[in-house]
Amino acid sequence: MNNRIPPLIALAVAVGIFFAYVSPTWSGTIAVTKIAIASDDKALAAASEYATQQNELADARNNIDTTDLTRLTTLLPDSVDNVVLILDLNALAARSGLLLSNVDVMKSDAKSANSINTGALPATGVSPVGSIDLSLSAVGTYDAFRAFLTGVEKSARLLDVRDLVVKGSDTGLYVYKMTLRLYWLR
Amino acid sequence: MALLPTLPTSFVPPSASSAVSAYRSSALSFFAYAILGIVFVLATGVFLYGRLLASELSSKETALREAEAAIDPATVSSFVRLRDRLASGETLLDGHIAFSGFFTSLEKLLPTTVRFSTLHLSVDTAGIPKVEGTGSAKSFNALAAASTAFAQDGRIKDAIFSNIIINEDSSVSFVLSAALDPKLTVFLP
Repeated sequence: MNNRIPPLIALAVAVGIFFAYVSPTWSGTIAVTKIAIASDDKALAAASEYATQQNELADARNNIDTTDLTRLTTLLPDSVDNVVLILDLNALAARSGLLLSNVDVMKSDAKSANSINTGALPATGVSPVGSIDLSLSAVGTYDAFRAFLTGVEKSARLLDVRDLVVKGSDTGLYVYKMTLRLYWLR
Repeated sequence: MALLPTLPTSFVPPSASSAVSAYRSSALSFFAYAILGIVFVLATGVFLYGRLLASELSSKETALREAEAAIDPATVSSFVRLRDRLASGETLLDGHIAFSGFFTSLEKLLPTTVRFSTLHLSVDTAGIPKVEGTGSAKSFNALAAASTAFAQDGRIKDAIFSNIIINEDSSVSFVLSAALDPKLTVFLP
């Protein structure tokens, strides 16, 4: 009978080690570490993909002519900057032979270009483009007006004529009222 | 004289039950120590595997921190803005309205005997350009010629002449309202 005690103690120690260390460590610490490693693997794969895409995008951007990038920034600037625009419109009117007067911002609140249903931008998502309307009045000949209108339409900064009223007179001078919409990247 | 301990003291053979008991005892010992050995091996393996995983996790987290540090928010922002600028610029240019095309067409279509005193061009909420105006024609025939010209051209759509008043000098006053084909106001660089 005494010969059976040591093996029984050994068996008990084995069972104790298994349930006190092996099993909880395997299903606890090791399992958690494996999950953390899998998560890190995913993050590292994403970081690698990001680095690849960043290099591709940098190459693509470097392939764009800097002049074109400047023109693009002028087309859709980073700020409203309507004061400079009014100065430019004044200069264009002077060159065209049109007498410009009463330039004003119609809406004081900057609004999203797609929230006002311009028919130009998609209505889904939040648009990164803001827009406001400028109203202006002018007097001049029809030829001067056509030159001014062409200048506005071909402006380096994108301007949309949203509303235009022409009133004629017998003197050959016409009165023009325009609403221009200007855009910027928020 | 004392007997040697190795000498059997009895000529009676040991019983079968004590042999089985000894066999069971040795089998139990073998089984118990084998299990203990296996558990020791398992415990050592689990310990080493845990250390290995911990080391691997540490190196991956270091690599991840380095990758995160390599991401420049300003660069990301510049890419996002460039993408927005390109996409929005293209969309806005596609919808860019140029009324010059309308005036050019009007100059060609309108008979010289018809003139507008007011003209109102606008874009409705759906983005469709439209025109409204008041004017006068030297005669009804001149107004009819203008109406026919608009209809034949087809780009000044649904042209409705209303409030037609024949004046004493046989001139005709009218009000025009029409929708414009977007092709007429499309921007051509």
